[in-house]
Parts: sequence; C-alpha cells; structure tokens
Amino acid sequence: MGNSKQAILNRKYWKRWSLNWNVLSILAVVVALVENLLVTSSESVDNGPYRIFLLVFMFYLLFVYLVGSFFNLRVKFYSGHFAQLNLSLGILLCIQDLLTEKFGTLALPYFVSFAQILEQIRYDAVLLLESMISSLILWLISFVIGTLIGVVLGILLGRYRQFNYWSFPYLKVIGIIPAAAWMPLTMVVFPNSFLAEVFLIVLSVWFPVAFMTIGGVQSILPTYFEAAYTLGFNEHKIIQKVVIPGALPNIFTGIFTSLGLSFTMLVISEMIGAKVGLGWYINWAKSTGNYSQLYAAIVIMALLFSIIFALINKIQEKALRWRRTAS
Amino acid sequence: MAFLKVKNVTREIFNNNGQYLKIIDDINFSVVDGEFLSLIGPSGCGKTTLLRVISGLDNPEKGEVTLAGEKIVKPSVSRGYVFQHGSLYPWETIRQNISSGIQVVQGKNFNQKLVDYFIEVMGLQGFEDAYPNQVSGGMAQRAALARSLVLNPQLLLLDEPMGALDAFTRVDVQNIIYKIWQEKKTTMILVTHDIDEAIYLSQRILVMTPHPGRVKEIVKNDLPFPRKRDSSEFLDTRKKLQQILNFK
Ligand SMILES: Nc1ncnc2c1ncn2[C@@H]1O[C@H](COP(=O)(O)OP(=O)(O)OP(=O)(O)O)[C@@H](O)[C@H]1O
Ligand SMILES: [Mg+2]
Repeated sequence: MGNSKQAILNRKYWKRWSLNWNVLSILAVVVALVENLLVTSSESVDNGPYRIFLLVFMFYLLFVYLVGSFFNLRVKFYSGHFAQLNLSLGILLCIQDLLTEKFGTLALPYFVSFAQILEQIRYDAVLLLESMISSLILWLISFVIGTLIGVVLGILLGRYRQFNYWSFPYLKVIGIIPAAAWMPLTMVVFPNSFLAEVFLIVLSVWFPVAFMTIGGVQSILPTYFEAAYTLGFNEHKIIQKVVIPGALPNIFTGIFTSLGLSFTMLVISEMIGAKVGLGWYINWAKSTGNYSQLYAAIVIMALLFSIIFALINKIQEKALRWRRTAS
Repeated sequence: MAFLKVKNVTREIFNNNGQYLKIIDDINFSVVDGEFLSLIGPSGCGKTTLLRVISGLDNPEKGEVTLAGEKIVKPSVSRGYVFQHGSLYPWETIRQNISSGIQVVQGKNFNQKLVDYFIEVMGLQGFEDAYPNQVSGGMAQRAALARSLVLNPQLLLLDEPMGALDAFTRVDVQNIIYKIWQEKKTTMILVTHDIDEAIYLSQRILVMTPHPGRVKEIVKNDLPFPRKRDSSEFLDTRKKLQQILNFK
C-alpha cells in the first residue's frame, strides 16, 4: 500500500528530494531579502510589502521543508520536486531588484521593480479588488453562457443532419469573424456597456466550443449508439448517456481553446467601454502615465487567470477520470 | 413452434469503391423458442451481417425476419445483442454499464438485486467501480454479457463474445452462458469461429459459406448436456463439421 502511494507520488513529483536543493532554495530567498535590505537604492520605493512577501515566502519554504521531512510524505515529494524551481525564483527576484530599483539599469517609468509593484498593489488594494471582482463576474457570466451555447449548438450540429445542413454554413461564417470586429457596433446597440461586454465575450467563446463539440460527437464509435438502441435508450437518454460523455474530452479541448480568447476579449472590452474592471484600470493607468499601476493590474490578472485555468483543469481531471488506465 | 423465422434474407451494398456487393444471399432458417443455435463459417462470410439483420440494426434488401410472427424492423430491448468488439461505455463504471439498460427501462428504482446477481454470476465482484479500460478483456466481455442479460431478453444474439479471450477465460465464459441458458431457457444465437465452442453449447449448428454468404448446412447436435469435450461423440461431431467446412 505504502509503496503504491510512493509510486504515484513519484510519477507526479519526479524530481528527487534532496536536502541541498531545499536548503539552497530557502537560502536564495534569504539572500534576496538581505540584498534588498543592504544595497542602497537609486529609486525611492517603499520596500515594506516586498520584504513581507519575501519573509512569507521564506517561511513557507521552511514550513514545507519541515513538514515534508518529518510529518507528511506527500509534502516531502512536493517540496523536493519544486525546490530547484523555487531556487531559480529566489535568484530571479534578487536580480530584478538589483537591475531596477538598486542600480537603475532598467529605469523608471517603463521598468518597475517587483517591490514597487507590490507597494502599488497595497496602495490601490481596494480599487484593485473591486476591479478584479467585477472582471471576474463579467467573465464568469459570459464564459458560462458562451460555453453552454457552444455545447448545445455543437451537439445539435454534430448529431442532426438537417440542423447541420441548414445552420452550419451560416454559423461558420459568423463564428470565424473575430469578436472584436463587432465592437464599435455593440457599444452603440446595447443599452449598457455590461451587456455589450457580455455579448462580445460570448461571441469569442461559443464557436471554438461548438466546433470542437461537433468533432467530439462525430467521433463517438457507432457501436455505442447501436448498443444504446438494443438497450432501449430513447433519444433523450442517448444524448445524456452517450453523446455528452462521449464528446466531453473534445468539449474540454474547446473550452481550453476559448479560454485564452475570452480573457483577451474581457480585457479589450473593458478597456473600451467600461468604468470598472481590470481592463478599465489599465486604461486609466495609461491616461495617468503610471506604469506601476499597469504592472500591478498585470500581476493581478496573472494570478486570477492562473487560478481559473487551474480550476477548469481540476474539473476536467475529475470529469474525465474514466480515461485513466489502472495504475 | 417456430419462434424466429429468417425468410429469404439478402443483404447487398455498394462498397466504398462503388462496387455492388452481395454480402448474404437468400438465407432461410428458423429457430424454436428456447433453442440454442450457433452460426459458424470463415471470416467475412456474413455472420455479423446476418446477426445485425436479426437484431434489427440493419434491414435486409430482400426478405424478412419475424419474431413470434412480428416483423423485425428496428432494435428492441427484447432482443439482446453482445457485440463482437467492446461496446461497454468507457465513461461508465462496470456497475453503471450493467445497469444502464435496465435503468432506462425500469426507471430510477430499477431492480438493483438483479444487477448484483449478475455481477456475482459473472465474477465481477470487486470491480464494480472500475472503468472498462481498467479491467481485463475477459471481464469487459462478461460485463457486456451481463448488461444484456439483466434486461431478460426473449432472444439473445451473441457475436463472438469469446473471440478476443484466451483459452482459459473462454471456457469460463462458455460455462456461464451454458448455465444461464439452462436456467432461463433464453433463446440464443451464437456466432463463433470456434467449432468446439459451437458443439459444446448449441443444439443446432448453422454452417455458412462466403462470397456471398449462404447457408451451407444446418447440423443437428443431439449430444446430451452437459457435454464432455473429450467424448468420442463430441469428436465425431467435430470431424463432421470440419468436413462440411472444408468441402468446397
Ligand atoms: N457496411 C459495409 N460496407 C462494406 N462492406 C461490408 C459492410 N458490411 C460488411 N461488409 C463486408 O461483408 C462481408 C461480411 O462481413 P461480416 O462482418 O458480416 O463478416 P463476419 O462473418 O462477421 O466476419 P468475421 O468472422 O471476421 O467477424 C465482409 O467481406 C465485409 O467486408
Ligand atoms: Mg463478425
């Protein structure tokens, strides 16, 4: 039992645990902290948030290392696997600090130290949080609607010849147009900018999902349908128990394809029409010429979009667990 | 009493090259209620084609098939079909697969006990929650068999259900089929490549010849059940069948 668990962990966290790398990764963060404290700065930056960040990072690495070594096998494999990557992160933080804030090789206003970005995030915390939440709400609503439309259309187009014959040629033409091309029109036609933004994001999402779903439905083995007929399935059951699960791998491919497009459209549409959201925040930063605000928004976006990506990945893993063979 | 009647069934198609092909030609035979019939013949002689017509998955260009007097035009739950190649849904567990038909027919409160019974009969305990690609080929084939059997069909059509199995597993599944046939007296038509399997299980053996597929001969097989694979009568029957198969 213990061995099979180790085997699974070994496959996921394949880099071998070693004391050296663990110690070095913690040391690198300490060096970055000491460097920030000791080297004199050429720019005036409040380094408080950055130092707290480095301290938290350091204690996190220490914590993971200790828990892994003494209490939990899973954490041990995890810390062993990522130790080298964390080391590189510590070194990179140190280098960027020296190049920007300390020596001014990459100078303001276009290049901003990570410390400055963190200070900006702290300073603008409330506004950034509000922007993030309104972006998240807009994205979530639009993405769910777009995905649903895509899946439903994909199933209809993939399964029913008549429907495909009459609508696919038209839908293809609409779907291939970049959603952004409709922007000038939507801003005028829709009663408010929120609806216009939802429309644009939905427009960028539905087609990749629909297109992949069609392929998914059509690649289901005929035997699965024939078995369904001999088992007494009606059309409703066939859709529910054969078509949807059979097309699900492709549906997820479509969702991941449209994910990037949806983020792009989210930011662009917020830049143009909105008075809230991360896209608006960036646009506002541009007008004041404050580039550390831009970087702050980018860091928040990187975080937000990564979390969304990871969540959808988890959902996919769960929904398609039947594809895993016996371990 | 003739239960199933296959009358002048001909199946012809245009293949991908646009050529006209007669796959099976003027097939005639009947099966009585509770009978066990095997279809044997070389690969490509149209066994699957014939079985699909009987199930209603395909319709013949000429002739017809009737079951208890009614013409078969489309598949039905009363005619079970075990496919030649894996047809279990890979996205359902073994238990979900076995329940999938009965759940549709009986609704949410379907007979769980019957599902449990077949899981046990097929020796699938402990693998109920595994997915098809996590179990052996033999288990998957037994699960496919169970999925049809829980529906208690009037007629069970088996298209080489043991085709992909090794010799040991093959005998296991043969014995399961034999046991179920003895208990339930379900009418069965079994397609097979294996002469011994046909002799072991069936009361009559229909031999087909290819190009186009025709009925060569229907051999009666009266040996008492349960049959012994090494008895001299068994070996005599095998010799007779081999002669029929080899005779051009
Ligand atoms: N839809 C089709 N299109 C073209 N050819 C077909 C089609 N269906 C069957 N055939 C051909 O008809 C012949 C009979 O096929 P069938 O699958 O019934 O044979 P079989 O006796 O079941 O063979 P096996 O023992 O290999 O399963 C084969 O030569 C096959 O290539
Ligand atoms: Mg066949």
